[in-house]
Amino acid sequence: MAVKIIESCVNCFACEPACPSHAIYEAKPHFLVDAKKCTECEGDFPVFQCASICPIEGAILDSFGLAINPPGSLTGIPPEKMAKAMAELQSH
Amino acid sequence: MQLPVLNDTPSHGEHGAKEGCAASSCGTTENQMDNLPDSIREKVQNHPCYSEDAHHYFARMHVAVAPACNIQCHYCNRKYDCANESRPGVVSELLTPDQAVKKTMAVAANIPQMTVLGIAGPGDPLANPERTFETFRRLSQEAPDIKLCVSTNGLALPDAVEELSKHNIDHVTITINCVDPEVGAKIYPWIFWKNKRIKGIKGAKILIEQQQKGLEMLIAKGILVKVNSVMIPGVNDQHLAEVSKVVKSKGAFLHNVMPLIAEAEHGTFYGVMGQRGPTPDELQDLQDSCSGDMNMMRHCRQCRADAVGMLGEDRGDEFTLDKIEDMEIDYSAAMEKRKVIHQAIQAEMDSKRLEKAEKAQQHKQEPKLTTRPVLMAVATSGQGVINLHFGHAKEFLIYEASPYGVRFISHRKADQYCGGDTTCGDGETTLQITIRALAGCEAVLCSKVGYEPWEQLEAAGIAPNGEHAMEPIEEAVLAVYKEMAAAGKLDSIPEAIRAIA
Repeated sequence: MAVKIIESCVNCFACEPACPSHAIYEAKPHFLVDAKKCTECEGDFPVFQCASICPIEGAILDSFGLAINPPGSLTGIPPEKMAKAMAELQSH
Repeated sequence: MQLPVLNDTPSHGEHGAKEGCAASSCGTTENQMDNLPDSIREKVQNHPCYSEDAHHYFARMHVAVAPACNIQCHYCNRKYDCANESRPGVVSELLTPDQAVKKTMAVAANIPQMTVLGIAGPGDPLANPERTFETFRRLSQEAPDIKLCVSTNGLALPDAVEELSKHNIDHVTITINCVDPEVGAKIYPWIFWKNKRIKGIKGAKILIEQQQKGLEMLIAKGILVKVNSVMIPGVNDQHLAEVSKVVKSKGAFLHNVMPLIAEAEHGTFYGVMGQRGPTPDELQDLQDSCSGDMNMMRHCRQCRADAVGMLGEDRGDEFTLDKIEDMEIDYSAAMEKRKVIHQAIQAEMDSKRLEKAEKAQQHKQEPKLTTRPVLMAVATSGQGVINLHFGHAKEFLIYEASPYGVRFISHRKADQYCGGDTTCGDGETTLQITIRALAGCEAVLCSKVGYEPWEQLEAAGIAPNGEHAMEPIEEAVLAVYKEMAAAGKLDSIPEAIRAIA
């Protein structure tokens, strides 16, 4: 039972001090979670602390491998709108 | 502590919106800081960000030690690593406090006119208290001749005031975009507060309360507070006059209203959703309408969170980590040298101020013109004089000349933020983009103009002028204004120029 930080992490350090179990550590190319230490905040907080401060959608996965903050949930940008804007950029 | 009213001048008849300009009909506007109490003026007179005057002489730098943030703003994208963009929140290399101290001392030794070190991100400095305060603590010990500044979104500010007051930090900038949570909910999608992500109006309300509380606490401690606001058309543009009133009544000494920067390629909410930024006219109108209540700052360049050099220039490439690694800095020797140079610059600024005041007295004797106002663009690399070729200018300073004098309005970038190739999107050349950026100006003053731009500028209704090279900006603008008035060019309002109601 542990969360996972994946490659879309931008290394902003925000989650590291927020973790009650000191399970998050700086690494290359991005921050990682020590699965042995991670408690998913159980007993400390009702919500994942790392995923509550993380600004990047999809960067932290729960133990089922699902994004805790799915696309659009933090920025408010509808995913299809984002995809369209990026596709337009690519075509230039 | 309440500061005296700034720019508290009666309106000038039909130019009621122009209260920011000096009350007297002198040739040049009074110094932006002239109305401040001596104690504050003393603190800001060599600060390039706080004094319009000083920004022609002194440089600043930011060190990017603060990556974490505790809120999300709709104009920010937290994927902050980009070398080619110049805007707040963007950096190339994140520094540790140790690296930041080394870099600061290297810059101070090599750019002695650098007087100010700021921590401005790329996240929120106060959401990274250990990294931010470690940097400040070491710098106030090891480089005591550098002024320290910090900017913040304000959420963690009340808890940081005590610590800030310990570190020789006498300037704090708070970004306050609203005082109404309903407006705030359209700007801030969420905040992280007391171990929870709080969205919408509830989050915005907490943020606003913390900002206002922090502002009051800083003023009570005697720390100078500047307020930054991002002008977002249709979101907070109507609301910012209210913000200006509120922050001024609480003792902020300067309000910096900045235009929203929003492009789809930045990947920000506003960029992707097609929210536009204000036009130069809209920005100027808002700054003018706020200036009756609050001292306005108009020379802000919205720097990167790792900018180095004079405002408008970025010498960060000279001080990358691998380069500073090899630099041996003898800081006590550097401090001696810096002191001498600072005194020389101060003497030059003082004599120029005196000269300006004398000239202003002379102009008072002259008959007053009755023309419409006119905008002019100026190419300068500093020292308050016209000393840059048209083609070398990466930005232009915009001045307004009118019967009430000459006043600085804003700066406009000549090159695009993306800094890409010479043709952009619609096949426009860099020259065409630059000319478009100067829309509304009727003259451009520079040390020299090439043949090709000369023709195109004339065709665009902007008179190129290279006759005032090395002259003080305000004097030159005034001289060109008088020539234009004498030639009858300012009798009527051309279609292309903004209507001054």
